[in-house]
Amino acid sequence: MENSTQESHLRPDNSVTYESPYPLYAMAFSSTPSRILHHGQRIALGSFIEDYNNRVDIVSFDPETLLIKPHPNLSVEHPYPPTKLMFHPNRKSSTSDLLASSGDYLRLWEVRDSSIEPLSVLNNSKTSEFCAPLTSFDWNDIEPKRIGTSSIDTTCTIWDIEKGAVETQLIAHDKEVYDIAWGEARVFASVSADGSVRIFDLRDKEHSTIIYESPQPDTPLLRLAWNKQDLRYMATILMDSNKVVILDIRSPTMPVAELERHRASVNAIAWAPQSYRHICSAGDDTQALIWELPTVAGPNGIDPMSMYSAGSEINQLQWSAAQPDWIAVAFSNKMQLLKV
Amino acid sequence: MANPVQSQEVDPDTLRKHLAVAVRSIQWSYAIFWSLSKTQQGVLQWGNGYYNGDIKTRKTVQAMELKADKIGLQRSVQLRELYEFLLEGEIDQNKRPSAALSPEDLSDAEWYYLVCMSFVFNPGQGLPGRALANNETIWLCNAHYADSKVFSRSLLAKSASIQTVVCFPYLGGVIELGVTELVPEDPNLPQHIKASLLDMSKPVCSGKSSPPHNADDDIDPICVKVDQEVVETLDLENLYSHREEMKIGPEEGIEELHANIPEDFTIGSPDECSNGCEHHCHTEDSLMFEGLNGVGSQVQSWHFMDDDCSNGAHNTINSSDCISGEEKAPISSPKQGSVNHFHVELGSLDLGVDDDLHYKKTLSVILKCSNRLTEIPGLHTIGHKSGFVSWKKGGMGNGYRPRWPQSILKKILVAVPIMHGGRSLGFQKDSGKKHYLEKLENDDNIPKEHENFRENEKFLVLKAMVPSISEIDKASILNDTIKYLKELEARVEELESCMDSADFETRPRRNYLDIVEETSDNYENRKTENAKKCWINKRKASDFDENYETDTEVNRAVLRDSLISDLKVSIKEQEVLIEMKCPYREYILLDIMEAINNLHLDAHTVQSSALDGILMLTLKSKFRGTAIAPARMIKQALQKVAGKC
Repeated sequence: MENSTQESHLRPDNSVTYESPYPLYAMAFSSTPSRILHHGQRIALGSFIEDYNNRVDIVSFDPETLLIKPHPNLSVEHPYPPTKLMFHPNRKSSTSDLLASSGDYLRLWEVRDSSIEPLSVLNNSKTSEFCAPLTSFDWNDIEPKRIGTSSIDTTCTIWDIEKGAVETQLIAHDKEVYDIAWGEARVFASVSADGSVRIFDLRDKEHSTIIYESPQPDTPLLRLAWNKQDLRYMATILMDSNKVVILDIRSPTMPVAELERHRASVNAIAWAPQSYRHICSAGDDTQALIWELPTVAGPNGIDPMSMYSAGSEINQLQWSAAQPDWIAVAFSNKMQLLKV
Repeated sequence: MANPVQSQEVDPDTLRKHLAVAVRSIQWSYAIFWSLSKTQQGVLQWGNGYYNGDIKTRKTVQAMELKADKIGLQRSVQLRELYEFLLEGEIDQNKRPSAALSPEDLSDAEWYYLVCMSFVFNPGQGLPGRALANNETIWLCNAHYADSKVFSRSLLAKSASIQTVVCFPYLGGVIELGVTELVPEDPNLPQHIKASLLDMSKPVCSGKSSPPHNADDDIDPICVKVDQEVVETLDLENLYSHREEMKIGPEEGIEELHANIPEDFTIGSPDECSNGCEHHCHTEDSLMFEGLNGVGSQVQSWHFMDDDCSNGAHNTINSSDCISGEEKAPISSPKQGSVNHFHVELGSLDLGVDDDLHYKKTLSVILKCSNRLTEIPGLHTIGHKSGFVSWKKGGMGNGYRPRWPQSILKKILVAVPIMHGGRSLGFQKDSGKKHYLEKLENDDNIPKEHENFRENEKFLVLKAMVPSISEIDKASILNDTIKYLKELEARVEELESCMDSADFETRPRRNYLDIVEETSDNYENRKTENAKKCWINKRKASDFDENYETDTEVNRAVLRDSLISDLKVSIKEQEVLIEMKCPYREYILLDIMEAINNLHLDAHTVQSSALDGILMLTLKSKFRGTAIAPARMIKQALQKVAGKC
């Protein structure tokens, strides 16, 4: 259902669409600047097929020519849909890039210009048969050898990917952990089906701080985003809720703001990579909203700054520091890059 | 360096060497010379120091063969350089020599030493302050457990395992020595150190020809910066004492916070004061420390003046605030009156977090990355080139809402992990039963994802409840649950047979079994099914048997209830008195006597009467030997006897 007024707003210079043969969920921007790659910015796309055979494709986006170019040989098979994809946060080399995917295990892939090779499979289970599937992971951008994964077995595992070994594994929550985000080199936060946001410090693994709990007990919190520009703030979304909850880690339990302008539940959130006050959210109401957090909230709540309506529910949102002018959204089979 | 009126001039390099010799001779971890500040009367600040403790990462330019003392001196210099570098806040790695230290190269004790450089003590405050004020030696054992009022760096010391700290006045300043072991008080030690220092310092002082060390130059501007803040420190202290009173339910951790901050604050410098300072741009960076205290409306309001701040600086401070934010919270919350819940949270943090506060402050310098971009003006006004439109109230006309919210997100989080467990979602289509659905809509087109999400959630709950489950695929979860239930039932039965098994207890169990049986229908587990059915049948059979008994069945039921209450066993020393009422049957008295006998009881008085088929018995007995059966056992035995029909 597309609204005609929105459609007319889309012009070739402010949006680029890529249509994939299958529904997409996971998306990731490479950190390698596009100017040093001759094809453009690499974007990894993970399929969402409810079957064993899924794929991860790499496409290139050139912000000058506004073209998305698929690379047929930069495509790999992935068992079941990848729950998250992420590139190495600090890669400066133009020849090879590192991509991580989570699913049954944390897998690392080496992405080159013409090929993508599996590098390693990081598996922590003692027995060979059983693994705890991962719901999400985050790559620490200050310490890029560190990746934190969250799993349905209520634990978070911190990997040292250079050694290929587990740094530590913490039982983070009482129920499945749904998302994890790094704040500092040694501090991360996670959200879980038990409805809490907890912060962990690797220097003090015995203790964690609960900074927020969902108002209805046991309402799962599904996603978490930590503002990298201002580490005081985090955003999270609840299950079946149209609210984006903004938290200040200095004042636990009380959210700083609840952004409630979506007309259906929210699916994804992303903080602006270049501004500490802006956040984008996308939901089932097919809308992507950009919010500006004011210093003082008005009595009626906070209104978004701008919005975009897609053709169908937007499932994924990425706002990368490598391309701060573009927001990537994924809905049904399409991936769209929108100019901010 | 030192106040010329009160003491001699000592070349810092030399002083460091002397400290080095002194601390190495007693094999302690570090030596610090706190000197009097130039501008502020009586205030002690970092003068010089030598670090003699554990080193994590050695960094030298070449593989130079250095003597141990040279290495140590070099290390101390490197630590000082690192501190100054962090203070300046330049993250321009190119300007630093390749062998310069970075924070991750430091061990905990080195960190402690480095952070000490930031401390300043007012007259009579802190260990060095008191040592100077009272002109006495202070020997602090168990420094890491000390109260913050006595030793403000005690938490820091804990993280570095510094257990003993000694301060004594010297040359108009204070020498502080610390070690990671517990050393009992030794009054000779300060004397020894003083003597060694005096011996060395004399020849050097007379001919001070060496050019001032670079450190001197560096120290000066920092001193200047720091001193101006001392005035503020005093004000802050007053403010803090008020705040401490406001606290409800003080916890040591928070007290630490409050105590630490006045001293630590002096590192930062509000922009007003340090105008003349060369490191102007960096002062804004060091404003991060202001975030610590949140004191003063100027600081509070400053946090909100986003637009007025210069490029980058504001962002950097904010990001550094984040870490030190934890400290801000206890201070700002008393203002808002919401102390309680935060204290609770802080309590759960344990002292471990507070340990890191100061640590984090220093880290915050590191973390504010100077390549934060300014706010893009485009975000304020949506240019015509944007893919987004300005938001309008009332929004878009279409209130599009999918039937099943967040379906793909939920699938990713719940269904996909289950998929990995070995069963695909297609499996659910076979299951006819929908026990786990909460809402059942009329039309059959319920998207599988929604019911599956709920179902999968319930499976995971079941898995959490049954301890023996390790797999996550549904068939094995259910199998394990069935096994567990069987085990539990066997156990219940066992327990029941010890007590009197009443009819009414079997009934609820039977229903429960029905449910299990029903679900097991879905999975081709014929054996379990059949077994269950047999079991149920047996139960039914036994019930039937009982039902087919004589018409005294009702009586019997009543009696069974009453039997439990009408059996009294009282034990007094060796005497046992038994009173019971039970349905009479042939030879029951014989059985009772046998049971009593088996329990090593000799019945000496028996009174019994049988009326309407009910036996009333009063029995007095004595324990035969020393073995005494507990009342419970006697009751059990008698109930068994009475129960047998």
